[in-house]
Amino acid sequence: MTIDLSQWHPIASSSDLPLRHVYQAQLHGREFAVWRADDQYVNVWENRCLHRGVRLSVGLNDGKELKCLYHGWRYSNRSAGCTYIPAHPADAPARTICNRTYPGVEEKGLVWSAVDPAGDFELPEVLKGCDPLVLRPIPLNAAPGLALSRLADLKLEGGTSRQIASTGSYSHLAFDGLDLPELVLFVQPVDAHRCVLRGVLKAVPADPAGTLRQFNTALNRLRTLIEAAAAEAPAPEPIAVDFRPIDEELASMPEISRSGPKAELRVTVARKWETSEGVAAFRLEPLSGALPTFQPGAHIDVHLPNGMARQYSITNGPGEGGHYTIAVKREPDSRGGSECLHNAVQTGDVLAISAPRNNFPLRRDAVKVTLVAGGIGITPMLAMARALDAQGIAFELHYFAQSKAHLSFPELLNELGDSVVTHLGLNPAETSAKLNEILADYGFARHLYICGPGPMLEATRDVAAKQGWPDEAVHFEYFKNTQEIDDSSTFEVALARSAMTLQVPAGKTILEVLQENGIEAPSSCEQGACGTCLATVIEGEPDHQDVYLTPTEKAAGDKIITCVSRSKSNRLVLDI
Amino acid sequence: MKLYDYELSGNCYKIRLMLSILRVGYETQTIDFYPGAEHKSDWFLEINPLGQLPVIEDEGRVLRDAQAILTYLAVKHDNSSQWYPASEPARLGEVAQWLAFADGITGTASAARLHDGLFYDLDVEAARKGAHRLFRILDEHLWFAEQQGQDWICSGDHPTIADIACFPYVALSEEGGISRQDYPAIRRWMDRVKRIRGFVGMSGVFPASPAADGSAQTAA
Amino acid sequence: MTHTKCTDPVVLEQWHPLISDRELADLGEFRTTLLERPLTIKHGARGIATVTADGPGASPKVLQQYGYVWASFGQDPNSLFPFPEFEEPDRRFVPTGVFGVNVSAGRAVENFLDMGHFPYVHTGILGEEPHTEVKEYDVEVSETRDEVVATRCRFYQPKAALASDEGADVEYTYRVPHPNCALLYKSSPADPSRRDVIYLFLQPMGEEWVRAHTGMCILDEDNTDESIRYFQQVIFGQDKPILENQHPKRLPLDPRAETPIRADKTAIAYRRWLSQKGLTYGVISVAA
Repeated sequence: MTIDLSQWHPIASSSDLPLRHVYQAQLHGREFAVWRADDQYVNVWENRCLHRGVRLSVGLNDGKELKCLYHGWRYSNRSAGCTYIPAHPADAPARTICNRTYPGVEEKGLVWSAVDPAGDFELPEVLKGCDPLVLRPIPLNAAPGLALSRLADLKLEGGTSRQIASTGSYSHLAFDGLDLPELVLFVQPVDAHRCVLRGVLKAVPADPAGTLRQFNTALNRLRTLIEAAAAEAPAPEPIAVDFRPIDEELASMPEISRSGPKAELRVTVARKWETSEGVAAFRLEPLSGALPTFQPGAHIDVHLPNGMARQYSITNGPGEGGHYTIAVKREPDSRGGSECLHNAVQTGDVLAISAPRNNFPLRRDAVKVTLVAGGIGITPMLAMARALDAQGIAFELHYFAQSKAHLSFPELLNELGDSVVTHLGLNPAETSAKLNEILADYGFARHLYICGPGPMLEATRDVAAKQGWPDEAVHFEYFKNTQEIDDSSTFEVALARSAMTLQVPAGKTILEVLQENGIEAPSSCEQGACGTCLATVIEGEPDHQDVYLTPTEKAAGDKIITCVSRSKSNRLVLDI
Repeated sequence: MKLYDYELSGNCYKIRLMLSILRVGYETQTIDFYPGAEHKSDWFLEINPLGQLPVIEDEGRVLRDAQAILTYLAVKHDNSSQWYPASEPARLGEVAQWLAFADGITGTASAARLHDGLFYDLDVEAARKGAHRLFRILDEHLWFAEQQGQDWICSGDHPTIADIACFPYVALSEEGGISRQDYPAIRRWMDRVKRIRGFVGMSGVFPASPAADGSAQTAA
Repeated sequence: MTHTKCTDPVVLEQWHPLISDRELADLGEFRTTLLERPLTIKHGARGIATVTADGPGASPKVLQQYGYVWASFGQDPNSLFPFPEFEEPDRRFVPTGVFGVNVSAGRAVENFLDMGHFPYVHTGILGEEPHTEVKEYDVEVSETRDEVVATRCRFYQPKAALASDEGADVEYTYRVPHPNCALLYKSSPADPSRRDVIYLFLQPMGEEWVRAHTGMCILDEDNTDESIRYFQQVIFGQDKPILENQHPKRLPLDPRAETPIRADKTAIAYRRWLSQKGLTYGVISVAA
C-alpha cells in the first residue's frame, strides 16, 4: 500500500498538551515531539535532537524553549532554531541549526499534522460548524487500513450503529435508538502495524462524563476485535524512515561568509510607540511565515527608507518568535538613522531587515550575571535579563537613566521584579561610586555585560578592571565607535585561504578592499563596534582602531576588525 | 533509621523517594546486588529470608517489602495523613488496590528490565506484554481521573503512596524495551509526580521542567 | 531491529569480549550471544576457557587477555590492542559490571568519549551546571597504533572520583584502540604522576543490542571494590536511558546525519575512522 504523506491527520488531543509537557506522537513511522509553549503555540518537531539524535520527547519544555536532556541544547518555540549550546558558552550558535518541524494546527479539540502537506490545513467538512467532544484516544496494534475497514463494527449497547460515510482516514457514524450525537472516528496512521483511534462527537451530549465512559468501553471492545484480526497475520516491519540530512555547511561548521549588511527579510511595523522619553519602540512582524531564531544579545540591520542601514538590538525574551521588538533613541546629532525611524517610519510600513546576528553572546555558564545598562543600552540587556530569568540563573540588571520617565519598557522591567535595580539622575562621579559598589564582589564564574554610551561604558570597564574582574569576564557592546579613525596608512593584505594579495591604500578600509575584490566578507555597522567583520590574523601586527575587541584580545594580535583597523607592519596575513 | 539500599533498584528508589518527600533523614547500607548478589548472601537472608531489597531497620524493627515500608513510613511520618489516608475507608481501599497493582508492574516491567539490563533468564516477551496490559489500564484510569480534575492515582487532591509505588518501574520501563508512547496520560502523570515537592530522581530517572506557575515543584 | 547475521569482515576479524575471567570462574559456565549467535563459555582446568557456538558453523577462536575471555569468528583476527597499565603490578583491576543496553556499540563508545553531557546526565557527580564548557583539546588518529587518541581534555567536575570532594577541572585522555572498545585515563588522586584507567569493552550481541563490560585499573588503596563498582554503576545507569533514546540506534557515519560541534572532535574522528575501516555492522554507512 502506498502512503499518502500529504494527508493531514489528528495526532493528539488538545488535552494531551498541557503546559510544560512534551507529548510523543508518531505519523507514518515518523516520530514527533509535540509541545505547547506558554504563548499557546503548538510545536510539532521531528523527535530527534540534531546533535546526537536523542529523542526530544524526553527533553524539558520550559514554556519558551525545549531543552535536550543530553547536552542541554536549547531550541526556540516556533522557529525550532537552536539558541544555546552549553558546551561552547561563549559562542552564538549558527542560526541555521534548526530542528525539522512539521505543521501543527489546533482545531476542534485536536492537533492536526501532516508529514509532507500539499497545502494549508483544511478541517474535514464533516466537522465544520460542530461543537465537539473529543473522546479518549485508543492506540492499537494493527495496520491503519485494517482498523479503518472495521470502524463500522463499533457497537453501543441499546442502539444500532449506522455508517453515514467513510473515507481513507475516518468513518462517520450515527447511533439509532440512542440519544447520542454523531461520531466521527479517525484512524491516525502511526506505523505499519500501529494506529490510534481518535473519536470526535459532533456535539456535547447531555451527560459528557457518562458518554465518554460509554464510548471508551465500546472503543476498547472494538480494539480487542481489531487486534485479534491483526494477530492472524504476522506483523509487518515498521516503516523505514529516512532522516533528512543537515545542511552541508553545518556538517563542517565553517565560518559564515556573506558580504555586507544583509536585507533578506521583509517585516511590517505592527506597532510603534513611545516607550520612554525620546525613545520609540517598534514591533516588527513578518509579512509571511516565521522569523529566524535569535539569541539574547543579537542585533538586526534595519534598512531605512533613506537608504541607510542601522543596527538595533532585539529586546525579545526567549521563545518570543512571532516578532522582533527594537527601540530607537531620538538623537538630534545622529547621522540620520534615528531621525528617519522617529519621523518617517509609521505603523504599517514595510521595512527590510537582516536576519539576527549575534556578536554579543550571553554565556550561561555563570553562577551570577551582572548586567549594566545605560540609557538606550537597555535593549540587549533586556533580552539577556529575560533569558536568564527564564533559565533561573541569578542576575542583577542595573539600569542607569536620567529619570523615571526615561526608563524604557517599564512593563517588562516590572516582570523581572527585584532583579532590576534602577539608578536615576546620577552624575558621572555618583555613577562611578555606584559602579564601585555594584562590582565589588567579583568571584569565580561571574560575568559582567555592559551596554551604554561610550563614557559610561569606559567607566564601567575601568571600575571592573580595578575591582579585579578579568578581561574574559567582562563583555560589552558599544553603540558606535567615537574614536577618531586614522586611515592614512598603506599596507599589503595577504589572504591565506584565498591565495590573494591586495593593497590597502590610505582612505580605504581592509573590508572595502576585500569586497571590491569579490571576497565574501560579512559586515554590519562598519565603524568598528559590532564585531561582524572580525578576521583572524596569521602574521603581522594589527593597528587596532575598533571598540569591539577587549584589551587582551588586542594585545594578543591574532584578531582584527577589518572595517576600521589597519596594519602597523607592511604586510598582514589574514585567515580568509 | 537504616535502609538496605541499591541505587539501581526501583523498589529501593520508592523508599528513597518517599523519605525525601517526607523530609526524613536516614542512613543507607549499600547492598552489592550486582554483581555480588549480596542480597542472596547468608547474612542478608537472616535479615530478609526472601532475599529481596529494600529492607529497613527502624527503632529495632526490621521491615521488608517496598509497599509495606511505604505504608509504615507514611503513617509514622506524615502527620497530615494524606499519603496514607488511614481514616478514609474509600480512599484507603483504593490505595491498597493500587499497591497491589504496583506489585504487578514490578512482576512485568521490572522483570523485562532485569532481562535486558542484567540478563535475567526469563520470558521477556511475556513480561513486556504483561506490562503493556497494565499500562493500558493505568493510562485509562489516569485519563478519566484528569477528566474529573484529579491529578493522582487515588481520588482526592493529594498524592498517596500508591503514586510512589507505581512510579519507579513505570519510569524505568524503557530499559526493558517497553515504550510509553501509547500512554499519554501516564506520561503526564509522571511529570506531575516529578513536580511533587521533595522529589528526587535516581540513575535513569531525570527531573521535570518547572511547572507553569514558576514553582519547581508543586503539590504536597 | 534487524536480524541479519553479521557478514561485516571488519567486525568478524575483531576480538570481542564475552565475560571477565573472574565471573566465569564463579559461574563455571555461561550462555551469551555474540553477533546474533548464541554461545556457551566453559571454565576449564587452570582457568582455560572454551567457547562453543550453537548450531552449524565453526565455533569462534578464543583469547584470554586483560582479565576477559574474548572470541572472534575471523580467519586471522588482529592481535588485541596494547593495554600496558593492566600489567602494572601495583594497580587494582576492578571489573565494575556488565550491562545490557538497547543501542549499537558505536553509540555507546561515543557516549563514553563525550564530556559535554556530564552536567546534564551525571549532574553533581561528573559535572554540574553552570560549568558546562568543553575547552579546546587535541585529537589525532595515531598512525603507528591505528587508534583515535584525544588528549588535553579538561572538564569541571564537582566530584571527580570517590577519593575527591572538591570541584576542579579534571584532565582526561581518551583512547579508542578498537571499534568497540575505549579507554579513559584520568589523573590518579593517589599518585598525581600516574593515571587511573577506566575501560568500556562492548560485546555486540546484535546491531542494536550490546553487553557493556565496564571496569577500572586503578591506583587506589582507600576504597573497596564494592564502592568503586557502585560508583561506576550509578554513572552507567544514568547514561542508559539517554543511549536507549537515541534515534536511530545505529551510529550514522554520514557527516551530514547529525550536527557536530567543536566539543565533538573525538566523535568526529571516531566516525571517520570507522568509515575508513569500511565497518558496516551497527552503523549507518555513508550512502554511496
